[in-house]
Amino acid sequence: MATHAHTADPDAPAVYEQFEDIDQQQETYILGMWSFLVTEIMFFGALFLIYSIYRWQYQGDFYIFHKELDYVLGGINTTVLLASSFSVALAVHYAQLKKKRQQLLALGFTLLCAFGFLIIKAIEYGKKFEHSKFPNDTFVWDAAKYGGDPEHARLFFSLYFSMTGLHGLHVLIGILVIGYLMYLIAKDHPVITDYVPTELVGLYWHFVDLVWIFLYPLFYLIPK
Amino acid sequence: MSAILERTAAPDPQVKKNYLNADHTLASWLLTTDHKRIAVLYLIGVTVMFFLGSLAAAFVRFELTSPRGQILTHETYNKMFTAHGVIMIFFFLIPAVPAVLGNFLIPMMIGARDLAFPRLNLASWYVWTISAVIVLTGLIMGGVDTGWTFYTPLSSLYSNTQVSLVLVGLFLSGFSSIMTGVNFIATIHKMRAPGMTWFKLPLYVWSHYATSVIIILGTPVVAITLFLVVLERTFRIGIFSPELGGDPVLFQHLFWFYSHPAVYIMVLPAMGVISEVITCFSRRQIFGYRFVAMSSMAIAAIGFLVWGHHMYVSSQSVLQGLIFSLLSFLVAVPSAIKVFNWSLTMWRGSVQFSTPMIYALAFIGLFVIGGLTGLYLAAIDTDVHLTGTYFIVAHFHYVMVGGAILAFLGGIHFWWPKMFGKMYNEFWGRLSAMVIFLGFNFTFFPQFILGYLGMPRRYHVYYFAPEWQFYHVASSLGSTILGIGFLMPAFYLTASLLRKDNVAPANPWGAKGLEWENASSPPVTLNFESQPIVTENPYNYDPIEDTNKVRREAGLPEIPREDPDKEVHH
Amino acid sequence: MASTPHAHHVTPIPVLLRTFFLLLGLMLLTIFAAQAPYWFPGMFGWMIPYWPLTNAIALAIAIAKAVLVISIFMGVKYTTNLVKLYAIGGFVWFLLLYVMLVDYVSRPWEPVRGWEAVPSSGLPRSKESDGGVPYPQFPAPKGKDGHEAGSH
Ligand SMILES: [Cu+2]
Repeated sequence: MATHAHTADPDAPAVYEQFEDIDQQQETYILGMWSFLVTEIMFFGALFLIYSIYRWQYQGDFYIFHKELDYVLGGINTTVLLASSFSVALAVHYAQLKKKRQQLLALGFTLLCAFGFLIIKAIEYGKKFEHSKFPNDTFVWDAAKYGGDPEHARLFFSLYFSMTGLHGLHVLIGILVIGYLMYLIAKDHPVITDYVPTELVGLYWHFVDLVWIFLYPLFYLIPK
Repeated sequence: MSAILERTAAPDPQVKKNYLNADHTLASWLLTTDHKRIAVLYLIGVTVMFFLGSLAAAFVRFELTSPRGQILTHETYNKMFTAHGVIMIFFFLIPAVPAVLGNFLIPMMIGARDLAFPRLNLASWYVWTISAVIVLTGLIMGGVDTGWTFYTPLSSLYSNTQVSLVLVGLFLSGFSSIMTGVNFIATIHKMRAPGMTWFKLPLYVWSHYATSVIIILGTPVVAITLFLVVLERTFRIGIFSPELGGDPVLFQHLFWFYSHPAVYIMVLPAMGVISEVITCFSRRQIFGYRFVAMSSMAIAAIGFLVWGHHMYVSSQSVLQGLIFSLLSFLVAVPSAIKVFNWSLTMWRGSVQFSTPMIYALAFIGLFVIGGLTGLYLAAIDTDVHLTGTYFIVAHFHYVMVGGAILAFLGGIHFWWPKMFGKMYNEFWGRLSAMVIFLGFNFTFFPQFILGYLGMPRRYHVYYFAPEWQFYHVASSLGSTILGIGFLMPAFYLTASLLRKDNVAPANPWGAKGLEWENASSPPVTLNFESQPIVTENPYNYDPIEDTNKVRREAGLPEIPREDPDKEVHH
Repeated sequence: MASTPHAHHVTPIPVLLRTFFLLLGLMLLTIFAAQAPYWFPGMFGWMIPYWPLTNAIALAIAIAKAVLVISIFMGVKYTTNLVKLYAIGGFVWFLLLYVMLVDYVSRPWEPVRGWEAVPSSGLPRSKESDGGVPYPQFPAPKGKDGHEAGSH
């Protein structure tokens, strides 16, 4: 063991000492990432469950509250995230083919989309703060004008801010991770000779997209 | 257990490089990615936390010796039992076996050089340490009075203690255990040595696999729930507050969705230890290997569907209560399978009462009492009478202390020679095991009676029923014995490290398993000198051969091979 | 296991592109479907309320989008069975959380009306003004001599 026959091929990806060969290493990393994503599913899952329970109880009220949210802005953000998901899939594609320039471009586009998403989100949040819809002491819901129970309104916006906020945090982490990956690629770091780091970042980013795919209809498109 | 392809000529064991003496600087320990060193770091951490938690318990027990309380105010008493619960559960029981023994043994047992993600492993220790510091800061700077369960709306709206800070700490400690879980899953799936098929894995590895699955599925749920409580305290968002349209029972649902499976996070790895110890010191194959392995997986799966048995009196619906009652009875079945199989493993084995074995036998006895009293609590009717009394306290201490902690100590003794290359003093080992067993029963058995009589948990006065003082004093005296019992290993195990004349051989127990047969004590940095190849089944002990070896040495005739039962029966 | 450098499945760009456009189409569809009460008036209105149907449509579309992302973009379609097991298992366990709904559905069935006293709701209410059923009135505790306590 121990001595891993390093092939003369300089492009051969580095294998860590605990692994036998590159295949084992790649499969282990992908499995590890997926078991982490299972954790993430349960993490957001608890929030989705809480949302479902209250939505089920207060469907009528939630319909009234959701008009506060702008489904066009939300739709633009969905498009932006779907595009970024596509581009990160492209980045993985190019990483497997070892096309460094295209890979960097695709990741750069993803990064751009991520920033775009956050900017639009910030605009939306700003509006909510302006209208006193952030569920702290300043929260106001004009029940006489719009109908709906003000306490349920607080609940709805609590859920809105905690779920989209946690999602936004994941976008932020994604930006850091993608940025770091691009830095490594640009520097020709030996880790990057393998496509798996890009694949792992891609899996994470797709998961962020996946959460938004559910958040969008649940908050912005509540039917009557 | 396995053939060895090649072995380099073994140099003198005294000067041999191993993971402990490979490097001596502090940085080499704090920046290590060696799973064995990280296990040692965790061992130091959980030991400190264990004694801090015990300190809080000592205050609780002392306070209860008088019907009007001894020294603590109401608030301080609340903070004491909360500190005891939080420290013991989140910083001792949950990490103890997986993060110390699991970290050390899983790569060795499956024949790998390290865990799949060594840096993640180190990160988990740092996250754990930081979270422990945060929680301890919270507990010292004001404390928390909600109990370790943090029920809303007390924790979210009414308590003005350091709940937020402590919850942030617990949120972080959850990530530490998720990191460990992810690491174990990837390692067990992908890093097994050639020939190490799933049904050749030691049962210890199976139980850790089941534990890891519980960790990655359950921990995130409680993490987000506790975080919502922090948000509720900070912004009054109202998800768990009835005044704000929320539902406090929803918190209990989400909390127990993790926290019931969490008892299996604590006890499944402990069961893994017992399977190893029992087989070794009975010199027998495990009885019903596949049943024991699969019962771990069954516990992991069914354990997720019983959380409502903590909520029979919480206004959860009667229908849900019925379903959970049924499932709670069901989850007792796989645990019972394990107990029966351990018992049958010992049957006709040549049982050897060494220290780890005494711990294992104590585990079985106490776990059976803890498990059977659990059935009283799974039945709705009796639970309504017993909920919130000392019966519950006694029940879960029988499972957690009698189960998890005794198995942890048994495991530490069993693998101590492997971890540090030193033999401990067997006399003190046996004595401490028996003192702990005695002190434990002395402490917690009276609490069953107290609970049955109606003594509520979390009260520090009982002037309304001064006749309970007898049981409380008995329990407090027992806890003193228990405390002495827990202190003894701290001394003689430390002493064993300092002595020079007690160097352990590679396999002092004659145990089976890659970590015993293919690695030195202590192991080298990458665990094995050559890649192990597995050809035999686990626990391939041969009691006849062991007996004959002794008889040969004593000059007695050997037991014939053909009829192994003859010697036992005539 | 083949050890050639490109033994892994490389998803072709047209497949990715097709998935992307499919996802965009589904997004437009879900926006369109959410407006159902406006473009679909009266047809089912007398039979069932709109929201169960429209919610189901929105959820079905979201699941379809999720399946596309998971299978194509995340490549689960092309990976090992083990990864498939973990991916599917994660979602199955997420659904397991919904066992909690049994509680919320069956709370209104309690034989004794308690503090969950909003008709057909499992949630507690603190105010009767919400149209909740009044709290059950218990008789005041009696004093030793048969008088109501505190009536002196
Ligand atoms: Cu439980």
